[in-house]
Parts: sequence; structure tokens; C-alpha cells
Amino acid sequence: MRPVRVIGCGNPDAGDDAAGLVAAEEVARRAPDGVEVVLARDPLRLLDLLEGARRVIVVDAIRAPDGGRTPGAVIRAEAGPDGLPAAVRSSLSSHGLGIAETIGIAAAIGDAPPIVFHGVEAGNVRMGSAMSADVRAALPLLVERVLADARP
Amino acid sequence: MTHRSVEVPVVGRVEGEGALHIRIDDDVITRLELEIYEPPRFFEAFLRGRHFSEVPDIVPRICGICPVAYQMSAIYGLEELFEVELPAGVRELRRLLYLGEWIESHMLHVHLLALPDYLGFDDAIQLARGGFKDAVERGLRLKRLGNDLMAAIGGREIHPVSPRVGGFSKAVSPSTLRALLPRIDDALAEILDVADLIAPLEVPTFPRPAELVAISDPSGYAITHGTMASSEGRRWTFAEYEEVTTEIQVAHSNALHSVFTDTDTPYFLGPLARVMLNGEWLTPVAREAAARSGLQLPTLDPFASMAARVVESALALEEARRLIADYEPPDPPAAPVRPRAGRATWATEAPRGTLYHRYDVAEDGTIIEAKIVPPTSQNLRHMEKDLAEFLPGVLDRPDDELTRLAEMVVRNYDPCISCATHFLRLDIERT
Repeated sequence: MRPVRVIGCGNPDAGDDAAGLVAAEEVARRAPDGVEVVLARDPLRLLDLLEGARRVIVVDAIRAPDGGRTPGAVIRAEAGPDGLPAAVRSSLSSHGLGIAETIGIAAAIGDAPPIVFHGVEAGNVRMGSAMSADVRAALPLLVERVLADARP
Repeated sequence: MTHRSVEVPVVGRVEGEGALHIRIDDDVITRLELEIYEPPRFFEAFLRGRHFSEVPDIVPRICGICPVAYQMSAIYGLEELFEVELPAGVRELRRLLYLGEWIESHMLHVHLLALPDYLGFDDAIQLARGGFKDAVERGLRLKRLGNDLMAAIGGREIHPVSPRVGGFSKAVSPSTLRALLPRIDDALAEILDVADLIAPLEVPTFPRPAELVAISDPSGYAITHGTMASSEGRRWTFAEYEEVTTEIQVAHSNALHSVFTDTDTPYFLGPLARVMLNGEWLTPVAREAAARSGLQLPTLDPFASMAARVVESALALEEARRLIADYEPPDPPAAPVRPRAGRATWATEAPRGTLYHRYDVAEDGTIIEAKIVPPTSQNLRHMEKDLAEFLPGVLDRPDDELTRLAEMVVRNYDPCISCATHFLRLDIERT
């Protein structure tokens, strides 16, 4: 059977932007059989990583477009035919093409598996800084929620 | 007097550190400040005190889009300082790895960033929904071929681990590379379809004077070796880079701006500069791509940059085909390396332009000081100059169109926003 794929995104050197990678690594330690965990720094890698998966769970640090969430807030969203809902657009982007845009492209092309997005609101994303206490404290919940969705 | 204030994201879609501020008073631009780039100062500090052998694993972390460029500028510089004699075939395999990065980066730019601009769509999602699904899929297929080439040679394509000072930790097998040949053949046909797609597009014209800069090499289309050259006839070596150019501090940005030391003028790096300065080395399919895309050389028009990226992708595919056909694994994959004290300086042609590195090294191979000057930071001043010269001619346009045109001027440079600055906003203030 095709695997459930958990994709952790982010930048390991940029403070809270590492949250998706750190969470995915923890998920990898606890994941049941049939669940694959992949790390990606370039969100566009998602387009390749969607292939061959039964279901995909993406975990990444995000920022609310209007600043309407506090750092450490954990959210879950399911991608529809138009990609991700507006509330979770604007994940930390690479070349202006972030997770939301990438999922939107996959949806527009029309061959994407079901995608669930788990995000944690980032506070500090300066290069070379450590993860903030707010985001660190949110990681256990984030990991539990990803695992709950990953179970076959 | 009317007052209008508009805020539109240029590339990112939320507020943040990077921004383009434009203030227009009575139809005259009175303020124009671009802050889109954070230099890799964290990494310069991080490299201090590290052993030289760690450098190839640290520097690719600076950029998720062009890790190979960072590795190659560092590795070739250190190898020159340490007088390493590379095993036969290492240089060719590194060039192949670098070509993969060019294909990946250029195809991403052309299909997902530039094409939506020129075809009048907000983004690649709308482009795919608006009748150009095949073009988006083709772009993604070509981009992925570049990724797969990098992954085959470099281990992991995001942060390749295989290249090291002295050679490679492990040489890829010929069969792994040859398995990519059918896809490269398909891609060589598809890149001409891309040229045909962009040929009829309505592109702004902006034939302003500019001094183009790229590495130039008497033996081929320069990527990793040669000397610096400019379209005004300047020539300098990598060791002279920090004398010939100077980084200056500007009030509105934490990034330094680069200028020529003697004339205090900016310069323009990237695919168009390379195609202009090294055009004699274009391969047959690259020449055909130039002809079919409507790229007329010589040109100084920065809006020709999209076509230059297509031309370089054709060159990269064609060279990759030849390098794979001739490939024999270097044996041994790496030469022994004995460090010595001194200064290493090197530059290579990253997808978006010349990337310069300097390392001061202690006798035991410890890095005392590191200096990294990325192409985006060198191009910043020229981006501002282009905006200042281009926008006055289009100030009568509505704000949304002015925004789109400003984005396109900046996008010509394919600035490496991903490296550190996550968010970008454009503010237009009119009074």
C-alpha cells in the first residue's frame, strides 16, 4: 500500500522556522509502519514529494497574514481544490513560493493526494537565532496532532 | 494635492523584514528604497574557528535554492590555497552538478515567477488554471530534472553532502547518470517549446546603459573557473575582487551595496551578463533557443533576462548530455589535502550571478575569517538604479500596474529572497 507521507519544512538555522523540521523528526521517531517522514527546506520540493503518497501531512512554521495569531498557536487545515484556506496562507516562503502556493499549484494541476497541513505560528525567524520558548512549548501538541493524522 | 497610499506584497504574501518603499510627490519619485536581502553574516561568524573540512557542509545551508554555488566557491578557493591536485574527472563532475542547479533555479524562475508576470496572472496557481497547465507542468518537469541531477551527484539535492575539499566523498556510478539521459533528451526538445512560448510575450523595453559583470574563461562558458570581466573592458582576478569592488553601507538597509571602487558605479550580474560576455560559447541548442525566444544579442535590456535563463538552461542540458556520455568516475574520488596558512579567494557563477568567497586560514586548516559576497547583494544597487530610471516613465499607470511593473524590474534579477528575508512588501505612497 502506498505510504502516508509526513513532510517537515523549514530552515534549521532560522529560529522558529525550524519548527516543522524538528516536529517531523520527532514524528519519525514515533511513527507507525506505513508512515514515511521526509524533510525539505525548499517548499517546492513538495511538488515532487506528493507523488506516490496515499495521503500527505505537511508541517511547517507559518505567519498569519494579519498578525492575528500569537506565536506558538497550532493550527490544522485540509487542502481543497483551491489549495489551502486563506487563514494558513503565507507560510514562511522561499523565493516567494511557500507551502500554500505549492499546494495550490498541485491542486491546480489536479493530481495531488489529500493533503493536511499542520502549522505553528512563528515568532522569531532571524538567521542564527534559537527557537522561541512559545514555539518550543507548542511542539509536543504539534507532534501529537501530526501523529493523530498520520495513523493509517 | 491628492494623497494615495498603497501596500502590495512584491513576492512574499505577508508583512516582514523585506520591502520596497516608493514615495511619489507630484508625479516625481522622491524616495525609493529596496530592502530585500539579508547578507549571510550569521554564517560568516559561524564559520570562524571551524576546520576547513566542515566548510562544504556549512555553506550550502546559506541557500536552499543554490547550495552548490556556495560549496563550489568555497571548495575551489580552499583547493587553490592548499595547492590540491584534483583527480581527473572531478572538475567535470562538479560542472555537471552545477549545471543541475542552473536548470533547477532557472526553470523555477521562468515558469513559476516570470511567466505569470508576462502572461498577466497573479501567480503560478492562476497560470495553471488559466489555460497554461501544460506549461506549468513542463516547467516543473524541467526543474525536477535539475533536482534529480543534483541528487544523483551530490547526495541530497537541498544540501549536497558529497562534494568536499579535494574532490567528492563518493563518485556517482555511470549507470545512475546515464539513466537520466532519456529525460535530458526530452528536456532538450521541451526547452525549445519554452523558447517558443516566451517569444510572442509582450515584454517592456528598457535599453538603459549598464556595466555587465561575469566570469570569463578562454576555454568555455565560465561557471567555476576564469577571471572577472565586465562589458566596459575591466578585467580582474578573484584575488583582486575586494580591491576592484567595494561594499558600501546604506542607511535604509542592513545589506551592503556593491559598487566599483574607482568609479563608485553599480554593476549587473546574472544570466544576461553571462550570455552577453560569454556568448561565443553558447551551444547549438542554446543558440536555437536564443533565436526562437527572440533574444537579440547584444542587448543591455534587463527584461531580456528571462530569455537568457531559457538559453542558459538549453546550454546546461546540452552540456550535461555530453558530460554524462563521457563520464568515467574519478578514481580516487578525492585527492589528499594538506592545509596551509593563507588567504583563499574564489568566485563562481551562481544561477543569479557571481558568488565571491574569501577565507583566511590558519596553518592547521582552521578558518580565521570568512567573507561571502552573494550575487543578490551585489545586484541590489543596480536594482534600485533600474527602479529609479524605469518607474518615472510609467508613473501615470494605476497603482496595481505600477506595482506589477516594479515587481518585474526586481524579478529580472531573480533576487535570492529565500536566503534570509522571508517577507516582502511594496509600499507606494503618492501625495
